[in-house]
Amino acid sequence: MIRQSALEAGRLLRRWRRDPIVAVQAVLFPTFLLVIYKLLIGKAVLAVTGSDSLYGLVPMCAVVGAIFGTLGAGLALPAERESGLLTRLWVQPVHRASALTGRLFAEAARTTVSAVVLTAFGVALGLRFAHGWIAAVAFVLVPVMISIGVATVVIAIAVRADGRAMVTWLGAGCVVLLFFNTGVAPAGVFPSWLQPAVQLQPMSPTIEAMRGLAEGGPVLWPLLQAGAWAIALVAVFAPAAVRGYRAAAEAGCR
Amino acid sequence: MSALVALTLRTMSGTLRDADLLFAVLAPVGCFLGFTLALGNLIDTGRMTYPQYVLPVVLVQAMLFGAMTTADRAARDRLSGFGVRLRTLPIPAMVPLAARMLYCLIRAVIALAAGTAVAWLFGFRMVGGLGYDALFVLIVLAFAMAVCLGADALGSRIGSVESSSQLLLLPQLVLVLLSTGIAPAESFPGWLDPFVRFQPVSQVTETLRGLAGGHVTGLGLAVTMTWCLTLLVVFGCLALRMQRRTR
Repeated sequence: MIRQSALEAGRLLRRWRRDPIVAVQAVLFPTFLLVIYKLLIGKAVLAVTGSDSLYGLVPMCAVVGAIFGTLGAGLALPAERESGLLTRLWVQPVHRASALTGRLFAEAARTTVSAVVLTAFGVALGLRFAHGWIAAVAFVLVPVMISIGVATVVIAIAVRADGRAMVTWLGAGCVVLLFFNTGVAPAGVFPSWLQPAVQLQPMSPTIEAMRGLAEGGPVLWPLLQAGAWAIALVAVFAPAAVRGYRAAAEAGCR
Repeated sequence: MSALVALTLRTMSGTLRDADLLFAVLAPVGCFLGFTLALGNLIDTGRMTYPQYVLPVVLVQAMLFGAMTTADRAARDRLSGFGVRLRTLPIPAMVPLAARMLYCLIRAVIALAAGTAVAWLFGFRMVGGLGYDALFVLIVLAFAMAVCLGADALGSRIGSVESSSQLLLLPQLVLVLLSTGIAPAESFPGWLDPFVRFQPVSQVTETLRGLAGGHVTGLGLAVTMTWCLTLLVVFGCLALRMQRRTR
């Protein structure tokens, strides 16, 4: 099953490399966002918090790359359903879970790649790791957790018959999260009634854990929160994803 | 019912289904709330409140978003058999284009109303009087038409539904976020200053802000008008040319 999952993951990664939407959303868009936000609020954040805005922006953009890359990849899923590919895999002598696990592997790999690209950009702009290269390795692996959680949600939604429109709406929802997180601005500058939501939404703990790894500071607690989000998303949406996938694959058998 | 009305209604019923009209309302509202709540306390705009400062760029961004979906629609019309079918009908070749643009105008009015309404709740006020208000609306709509014509030409040219709006995503991000619409020019690094000051989004938003506040310089107004008119003429010609191309 592991070999089959790896094969499926390889297929998806090769596909995504040629898909302009995934390439733009997973790498190009967050890189642009990083540079632009750095130029826009760099001075203001330095004045308000006393630390470089890069320590919040690089994590935020890595998470944005993970989430939007997943959404872009999810947009291709309805086409695979319609073309009969899911059904085809369903009747092949391969482990039936391998399509889903393979997809999650591929998401993890893609997230890591875009996090590495963004971190490299961040280092070029002046990001430094207080705890050496081990922290840097952990830094690029943290967004994988949230990406697995979000990927499960996207799969559960995208395999439905009306998947395409629903994924677009999910994307619109994620744009909201893009503003209200602790990466761009510290939680303190938001209106006080909004602060709990800003701190608890799924992106913020991940961003804080990565900030801690790079700049120094608490890592364990935000990391646990981020992990809790990932586990909660998987636990809630995995059954729906499996059921929806089965329904999508069997829809072509009739 | 004339061809123009029929085709405009067709576009409208399509966008009611794929929720583009809903997006026209939600995009300016969402962007305004995002900018105001997240960046409002971070960016120093002097004596002007941030909602008053930021609304023009929110409107400009809403128009740019509208252009992105226009590119998609133009590409879809060209790719699907429907575009070919239209060219065989006894209607002028520019009627389908005119219908798409009429829809864009309606969409722009809706986005303008939605954005202004939410900003009103946060304390944005038009204090210039009726003439200034009319000019404000005119400039927003002229800008919307200009970028929609450009996007239509691009969508017709590219002929791929998925990549045309993606192509526009990054330029609009650069133009909006690196403009004096979001933050005063002093907030940006010095070497970026010339670009930030003189790019079209900065010029247009500055004039709009002046019109809302009731004082505007003749030079700023002239520059903005020139930008809008130039873009209208250039993109209009391009869009018309694209209609003439046959496969």
